[in-house]
Amino acid sequence: MTDKIQITIDGEEHSVTPGQQLIQALWEAGVDTPNFCYHEDLSIAGNCRICLAEVEGPRGWGLMISCHMPIRPGMNVRTQRSSEKVVNARKGVMEFQLVNHPLDCPICDKAGECKLQEHYMSDGRGESRMRDDIGKQYAGGPDHQSCDRKGQTRGGKHIDLGDRVLLDQERCISCSRCVRFMREVAGDEQLELASRGDHTYITTFPGEKLDHEYDLCTTDVCPVGALTGKHFRFQQRVWFLKKTNSIVPDDSLGANITIDYNEGQREGAPEYGVYRLMPRRNPDVNKSWLHNDSRMLYTQLTENRLTEGLKHGEPCSLAEANTAMSAALASAKKIAIVASGHATNEDNAAVLALLEKLGDRAELFGGSWLAVGEGDGIARSGDPVANRRGCELLAIPDNLDQLCERVAEFDCLLTVGHDLWAADAEKAVALEGISERLVFSAWKDATASRATVAMGVRAWAEVRGTMVNCNDRIQMLQACPICPNDELMSIWEAVSELSGVEWDSAAAWKAVKARVPQLADVSYRSIGALGQQLVSEAAVAASAESAEV
Amino acid sequence: MKRTPENCPQVLSALFDVTDGHTMSVAAEHGAYSRLETGAGARIFGRSQFEIIEDVFASGIRGRGGAGFPTGMKWRFVPRNGEKPVYLVINADEGEPGTFKDHFIMDRDPHSLIEGMIIAGYALGVRTAYIFVRGEMLPQIRRLNSALQEAYEAGFLGENIKGTGYNLDIYVHRGAGAYICGEETALINALEGCKGQPRLKPPFPAISGAFESPTVVNNVETIAALPWIFEHGPAAYKALGTSMSPGTKLFSISGDVAKPGVYEIPLGMPMKEFFDLAGGVVGDLAGCIPGGSSSPVLSSDECDDATMDYECMKELGTMLGSGAVMPFNTTRDPVLMLQTLTRFYSHESCGQCTPCREGTGYADRVVDAVVAGKGRMGDVEFIQDLADQFEWTTICPLATADAWAIGGFLKKFRSYFDAYLDKSDEKDAGRDVASLQPGGFW
Repeated sequence: MTDKIQITIDGEEHSVTPGQQLIQALWEAGVDTPNFCYHEDLSIAGNCRICLAEVEGPRGWGLMISCHMPIRPGMNVRTQRSSEKVVNARKGVMEFQLVNHPLDCPICDKAGECKLQEHYMSDGRGESRMRDDIGKQYAGGPDHQSCDRKGQTRGGKHIDLGDRVLLDQERCISCSRCVRFMREVAGDEQLELASRGDHTYITTFPGEKLDHEYDLCTTDVCPVGALTGKHFRFQQRVWFLKKTNSIVPDDSLGANITIDYNEGQREGAPEYGVYRLMPRRNPDVNKSWLHNDSRMLYTQLTENRLTEGLKHGEPCSLAEANTAMSAALASAKKIAIVASGHATNEDNAAVLALLEKLGDRAELFGGSWLAVGEGDGIARSGDPVANRRGCELLAIPDNLDQLCERVAEFDCLLTVGHDLWAADAEKAVALEGISERLVFSAWKDATASRATVAMGVRAWAEVRGTMVNCNDRIQMLQACPICPNDELMSIWEAVSELSGVEWDSAAAWKAVKARVPQLADVSYRSIGALGQQLVSEAAVAASAESAEV
Repeated sequence: MKRTPENCPQVLSALFDVTDGHTMSVAAEHGAYSRLETGAGARIFGRSQFEIIEDVFASGIRGRGGAGFPTGMKWRFVPRNGEKPVYLVINADEGEPGTFKDHFIMDRDPHSLIEGMIIAGYALGVRTAYIFVRGEMLPQIRRLNSALQEAYEAGFLGENIKGTGYNLDIYVHRGAGAYICGEETALINALEGCKGQPRLKPPFPAISGAFESPTVVNNVETIAALPWIFEHGPAAYKALGTSMSPGTKLFSISGDVAKPGVYEIPLGMPMKEFFDLAGGVVGDLAGCIPGGSSSPVLSSDECDDATMDYECMKELGTMLGSGAVMPFNTTRDPVLMLQTLTRFYSHESCGQCTPCREGTGYADRVVDAVVAGKGRMGDVEFIQDLADQFEWTTICPLATADAWAIGGFLKKFRSYFDAYLDKSDEKDAGRDVASLQPGGFW
């Protein structure tokens, strides 16, 4: 850790982390500083001018933008708390931002999380000086411009930029965040600020569309409602949404997200459910970005769910399924248990406990048939098995292909949270040679439909647990109260019930810790929202050795 | 045509009225490229770069583009012996309303510019130099290109100039004609092929400019004065003008004078004498814009005592700028003049910073309302308040220039604005905006 440096803010000494811009130091010191164009994971544009603060320089006090002002020891700064000049400058900027803004908040999807709204409340003028007879010049390209009944130029609304993103040109405040995102992060310059002055507008190149795996991130970085995702358009007012921290379940980098859901009145109420997944900033994992495919995963939470049990494809109650499973396990001679890299560590620890209880009658298999792709360096590693590293730490083998070869040895197959038939139907066909097929699954998927007994469990958004990402970082999934059937259990609950012990959440975590030495110093609390980097096995061994000495 | 007062040497304008002065043969007769001789008594080649920079510093010449920054000082900032090449860029994007001095140089004496560039290039260790010319100046671009061709043919440009081992290539870059590209970082962006928008500073161009390399951006007039300085010595140049503003300067005077045009006068000359040189003011002088549209206007009283140098203009709260002098008489309407200026700035705003993008247009529309007879009492204060909100709050000084233009006209010609408001149909409509207190919602 580098030493903190002292800077003076409004006459008070504050110690802040060196090497950052003034705006970050102000945030660190607890001074609210507004920002539109500044984004921590993009280059500095310095064009919105809302973060102006007074800084003492060799030629006296001057207004500087705090997003482009590297801090240095002994710096003397005045903010809105002590400087009338700063307050007035920000009022001025806010007034100008709104001169050509349509103020259609009532129909804007961004309302409620819009920076213009937030900063107008904190830094705005409060009283409008706008007059009807002074024409506005709303931003907009010539293709989409129109003239309203007051004779004002209106920019285009709901312009289709591509398959996923819509543009509202007149709401745009030209902060250039989306342009910088596409240029610097996506690496594919598809958006551009065209024209100049107050005619400036965002557009794609002529005849081109906005089409990129990360293009929905432009809607996140947009501080106003200019860029909106089609999937969330007019779906929900954001102030009705609650947020739960989690990570994406479809990639081993484990991009941090929030699950935005509306509890409604409970299940059955029309508004009940998950409305979107939003990237959650984690500088060490996914920065502020989220892949489009990961973002759309919330749709599967309501589609084709297995909310009860299945016996040979016929619905049954969860209790019946449980009884049937116990009976099948009790009577089987040789059981193959397939643990899953899609399940949490807690789930897999429960599977391991069951394995030990069944003793010689059971054998553990693991791994995945899903193809591993290349990482993109943004928010994906390319490996769809999210908890592959966690499986390795729990010593779960990667030997699914062996299982196919030795099918004849087994008369019972227990698949836990893993759609084998969807991953590779050709290989999975061999498994149909095993007469008794038991499945824990959250969906009526290909594997569940081929099961003799299938039991519904909670999906990734509804459970609490841990996963270890490809860089040895342990991260948490948190449960949203949006389960389609409250009686559904997590995998670890259901599996531990099968093995006859009734675990609670703490016991499940304890079981994980007991099996993995690297987790000695790790707790749910220490993992927190941003995860915790695990020490390497070698380091654990070394410290154990030194302890012995 | 008489372009200089008595006893003033023609530093820049010597060839302006010579027939075919733009050709190599005629220019050479008048001494063009004579500073580049090699051998005994060489004035440039053979001397150290350091000495040349110090000579420029000693001459006291200040940047003629508008800001008046000492040229020698700017050159001293350039890192020596760095790993990256140093670029010299000539700012010929003359776009300040009322300014037409640089295009005279390119039109009538391009070889002085090229010779100056070779001198500057040698002093700064430049291998490649650019002349960024405003796109509309097509005849001047053709003149420059043919002059460059002549210089290449005569061996003053290219590889191993005159056997000295020094190499220099000069390219003419035609801009797209945006006013903002006269700002040096916007000019560099445009030169690189990007959108002409000013960059955040630091880093300054002297450290990281064109192609992320150290870059010196100088005005045409500054560079064109170098041959004279090295002909007669820096002391002779410093002896001209005033102690703080040495040398001569080209002024392009237009408006209500009998003989508008480009004149070369020593700095420090009283404004009234300058008007007389230009044939005298037509009618009764009402005021004068002393240095291009960006400089606050002077009232006629202020013109009486003003002298044409950087210091006096600063004292009067205005600036010498690019040397575009625009006196106007009492028959002109300052309100319409301000309307022209605000329209110009809102049109030329690059659209990057909020206060400039939105504010200049907003102020312009309020001025339009006043002119259209829809002004309200308090609009003068309102416009001034808007101008204060975009003064010094942006990346580049374009919005500040607009704020100064507005501030100057509102302060010095207030009665004209009040007359408009008195006639307005809506003068009492709405609220008195000036009395509104900034405050919260509740």
